[in-house]
Amino acid sequence: MSAPLPVFDAGSARVLELAAALAIGVGFGWALERAGLASAPKLVGQFYGTDLTVFKVMFTAILVALLGSFWLARLDVLDLARVSVPDTFLLPQLAGGLLFGIGFVVAGLCPGTSCVAAATGRGDGLVAVAGMFCGVLLTGLLFAPLARFYESTGHAAWTLPEALHLPYGVVVGLVVAAGLAGLCAAEWIEGRA
Amino acid sequence: MGRAGRRALAGVALVGGALAPFAGSPYRAQRGRVDVARLAGVVAREEDHVTAVELAQWIKDRKPGLRVIDLRAADAFDAYHVPGSQRVDITTLPTTAFAPAETVVLVSDAGGHAAQGWVFLQALGHRQAYFLRGGIGEWMDDVMSPVAGRQPAPTLTRYFGGAARAEGAPPPRGPRRGGC
Repeated sequence: MSAPLPVFDAGSARVLELAAALAIGVGFGWALERAGLASAPKLVGQFYGTDLTVFKVMFTAILVALLGSFWLARLDVLDLARVSVPDTFLLPQLAGGLLFGIGFVVAGLCPGTSCVAAATGRGDGLVAVAGMFCGVLLTGLLFAPLARFYESTGHAAWTLPEALHLPYGVVVGLVVAAGLAGLCAAEWIEGRA
Repeated sequence: MGRAGRRALAGVALVGGALAPFAGSPYRAQRGRVDVARLAGVVAREEDHVTAVELAQWIKDRKPGLRVIDLRAADAFDAYHVPGSQRVDITTLPTTAFAPAETVVLVSDAGGHAAQGWVFLQALGHRQAYFLRGGIGEWMDDVMSPVAGRQPAPTLTRYFGGAARAEGAPPPRGPRRGGC
């Protein structure tokens, strides 16, 4: 008798990977919800400079992940070479980012926060998730004419140290400085609003 | 979290970021990056390898910055190697230091390992790297003991102390063949 899902036939390692992904996803969603990021007005507030919670949460996450991965690797706890870095496709990702930003402003939710909003029973979250799945389906159906653009300007896994020709540690220092300056600026802007 | 807690976390981040430039690379081993399209162009233009005769000419001309790296096993290297070459194990090739101005030629038994080592060096940014196309076998066949009447470069054969051999005769002395 086979398992109900074919993927479970791949072995216990795959099941563990899926379980870990589920736990991380639930934890991420819980953190987003606790930060108040299931609310569309709160998210859109960053575009009007009235509520920069999203900006602060995301930059804090970037700094924690950056410093955590750097120092854990430096202390030989984490092997950075085994951390998957997605490939860079410059123009397609710029176009995707622009489309993502437009969708973010229009819906007031991004993919992660729309799932959180849907899980908390919010109607706008359910609509945003449905729209996201429709978009994925549409892209899949229209992929053939888009494939050439999708695969253009490939740079493999292009990281900031490689793009800037700077040592990894220097880039970490610069990003931390920029992140902390951004967080201070966000507090100042919120204080004026 | 209160203002004091946020300031404490910002302080930790600041210290971590300030020390990072002096902490060295976080990677356990040197990590290269391959521009596949560029490599494909280099291979298509046959600019990735040298022939045995070309290498012999470079050695004879004392080409500035030339460094011949032999990737074969120690016993094979001890039995015979290209004059002036240096033995490096392929596992330590990625961490071997090469000056930017050096022209590196990799040698292996039949060219396979040398071609793979060439990819490693390209990924690590050593663009002036080549491999001996047919390996040490081509060096023996074309430079050290070419067939009489079909010598590609008789002066080079004489220069390196080789001698032509009769048609059908095996090479008088040579390394074990059949490896990569």
